[in-house]
Amino acid sequence: MGRHYLKAAILWILLTAIGEFLALRIPLFPTAAAEEARIIDSSFILLMILGIPVFTFVLAVLIYTLSTFRSREEAPEDGPPVHGRPAVALLWITITAGLAIYVIFNPGLKGLAELRANQRADLVVRVEGSRWFWKVTYPEYGITAREIVLPVHRRVRFEVTSVDVVHSFWVPAFRVKIDAVPGIVTRVFVTPTQTGTFQEDYHFRLQCAELCGLGHSMMTAPVTVLEQGEFDAWVGKAKP
Amino acid sequence: MAFAPILRGLVWGALGFLLGGGGAVLVRLLLGLPAFQPEPLITIGYFPGLLGWLLGVGAWDVWAREWFGLPVRREAVYDWRRYFRFTTDHKVIGVQYLVTFVVLFLLAGFFAMLMRIELMAPGPTIMSAGLYNHIMSMHGIIMIAVAVAAIIGGLGNFAVPLLIGAEDMAFPRINALSYWLIPPVAVLLVSTFFAGGFDSGWTAYPPLSEVNAPGQVLFNLAVITFGFSSILGALNFLATILRLRAPGMTWRRLPIFVWSIFAASFISLTATQFLAAGLLMILLDREAGMTFFNAARGGAPLLYQHIFWFYSHPAVYIMILPAFGLALEILPHFSRKPLYAYPWLVAGFFGIVFLSFIVWAHHLFTSGMPDYLHGPFMATTELISIPTGLVFLSALGTIWMGRLRLKTPMLFALGFLFNFLIGGVTGIFNADVPTDLHLQDTYFVVGHFHFTIMGGMIFALFAGIYYWFPKITGRMYNETLGKLHFWWMFLTFNTTFIPMFWLGLFGMNRRIFDYPPALGSVNRFISISAFLLGSSFVVFVSNMVLSWARGPQAAANPWQARTLEWQVPSPPPVHNFPAPPQVVGHPYDYGFTNSVHALVGVSGGSGEQGVDTDG
Repeated sequence: MGRHYLKAAILWILLTAIGEFLALRIPLFPTAAAEEARIIDSSFILLMILGIPVFTFVLAVLIYTLSTFRSREEAPEDGPPVHGRPAVALLWITITAGLAIYVIFNPGLKGLAELRANQRADLVVRVEGSRWFWKVTYPEYGITAREIVLPVHRRVRFEVTSVDVVHSFWVPAFRVKIDAVPGIVTRVFVTPTQTGTFQEDYHFRLQCAELCGLGHSMMTAPVTVLEQGEFDAWVGKAKP
Repeated sequence: MAFAPILRGLVWGALGFLLGGGGAVLVRLLLGLPAFQPEPLITIGYFPGLLGWLLGVGAWDVWAREWFGLPVRREAVYDWRRYFRFTTDHKVIGVQYLVTFVVLFLLAGFFAMLMRIELMAPGPTIMSAGLYNHIMSMHGIIMIAVAVAAIIGGLGNFAVPLLIGAEDMAFPRINALSYWLIPPVAVLLVSTFFAGGFDSGWTAYPPLSEVNAPGQVLFNLAVITFGFSSILGALNFLATILRLRAPGMTWRRLPIFVWSIFAASFISLTATQFLAAGLLMILLDREAGMTFFNAARGGAPLLYQHIFWFYSHPAVYIMILPAFGLALEILPHFSRKPLYAYPWLVAGFFGIVFLSFIVWAHHLFTSGMPDYLHGPFMATTELISIPTGLVFLSALGTIWMGRLRLKTPMLFALGFLFNFLIGGVTGIFNADVPTDLHLQDTYFVVGHFHFTIMGGMIFALFAGIYYWFPKITGRMYNETLGKLHFWWMFLTFNTTFIPMFWLGLFGMNRRIFDYPPALGSVNRFISISAFLLGSSFVVFVSNMVLSWARGPQAAANPWQARTLEWQVPSPPPVHNFPAPPQVVGHPYDYGFTNSVHALVGVSGGSGEQGVDTDG
């Protein structure tokens, strides 16, 4: 009896080790080009690290049970009459509750606090969705464009809205998403940390992520992150 | 004539529709509006049309006549024709539900195949973006209907009265009514092809659902009708389980599948109205110029999302609770061990019911709702993993040290555990606000909910179909084909949906007709896997059809199971038990010597000496 527990535990540890190794080695994310992307990716990794032992625990019990506790066709019999002791259920609840509550705080509330820590912005960009294109305006410079161009290392506040149906503002390289809702202005902060263009990397794109009808999948706009000097040059050229 | 009731239902339905539509035209003329507007005409005509259909198909004969002092007319039909009638036998209604929803499942699966052909390569492949959006929306809503009703309506109807030792459901005519509300739902949804389609998904978010083609109106009417059917079904199950348990069937001896239907019915009865209300508000916006969701005229598009998810998140537990119950019902019989931690599991079910009502806004983390709501809804959502964890404790405790009999139902129940585990663990990433900001509305979410609903609920459904096939049909399915179906479906299901997590992380959002070319090879792999997954159902359907027609006669209790339905012949007689069974012990007490669940046919003295087998 004790032997079974020991063998299953060894299997669990083995599977966990393999799982954690793979999770930390396999590239899980595309280009992370913003401070927000770093916070979100590290939340993801923490959840992976915590989730793998849970996954492998069940997997180990399944594999071990299936390989060991088969009924013999020639002599069918019943298993041990066990209803389960309250202590086991209580221990199980304590562990799952402990994990769930831990995850609420870290990465959940901690990540949220990091994402919202700084409410100041160096640059405001207004984004307006309409079927099926994005209109981007820079109120500071009086620029209207069909693309997003940003200076690197400057905190940007996007003010997002829609003129018709619900759209969603999503830049995969920045990891953030916020719906564009008619009648209200939604906000999201991004601090780009890496230069890049849509031509080099398709994750630098503004993609509509909320079903908006016929042209939904084509409702994209290129995103470019430039060095400050290049950005100033772009502003100079784009100004009306 | 076999189809006379259905024909009469169609004729009366058409008359009702003309009456209602004519009335609408008349009112519009009196108001000085253009008389023939298709959308209001359909909306107004539909409800008397629905009433005409229900009365014509049989509600008049077996029910409504007595309201006017007339004798009811019931035909005693016991051959295949009873399946095409307003029959009140719960076993017939169960089969009606089951066959209807398996057919709908295959239809929606066919739509999924069309979507995967389109997505095989970037750029347009076989259809237009508009048609893709419609097919995708159809796939979504039909599969949601299957997930809500196939287990509860099909297997629940068939098995619950048998499992609790009852003669039938508490309200047999309401039961028939809930089933006959389903064909109009299917007809309306298929008719959207002739009304410009609808492209707003199964979620129907306004303002999109208020400005698109008239197909949207048919969608709304279909879902409102379906909701009506769910509410009536839930009411019936609650009443049945509360009032019709056999003597001695105490709450602590209730089979776990019955508990799960009880818990799910509680949600169905109390939450479904919200979806109907939301869809009705869209109809009123469209047809009566009201402005619930029209921002330009003072409405709030976000309001709909709250109302919608206030039903639709609890609804995923309407789908998954009976699946938990079904898998856990099967595990003890095929592990030859008692159900582990039974009272804790039941408490877990009700923990899920309670929490399911206070997590809805986790679908709205990126919607623009106030930031301070994110933390609380993240917390309640993560807490659901505690009662759900008890399902795993019970399942693993049951199979551990058991004597596993790996028949097809058992394989599907174990497959359910594995798939739902992936669905559950990936759910944490969606519940966590920081990661959800990236993952929301991507293929990561598509992967997650297919693992919970298809990998979970649909696998449990197949477990249940194979498990009760001998009881339902009186014939045995082919075990080799059953196992082939399981392995084929299990492997291709995983190769289809696991890569979707990667796609979501790498920038593929959901509900799109086209995607960045760099994602082409992974999508091609998924499409090929999906075609293989789709073809596994050929094995399933041929097994079902051939075995039902020509399978070997099934014994009363081929699984040596202890629960009540196996103590009567296969298929069970019309009134189930010769006399009310006497329940004297737990349903799953395998391994205890001299333990008995129930005495069947003893007190009435008429029937089989169905004293419980001990394995």
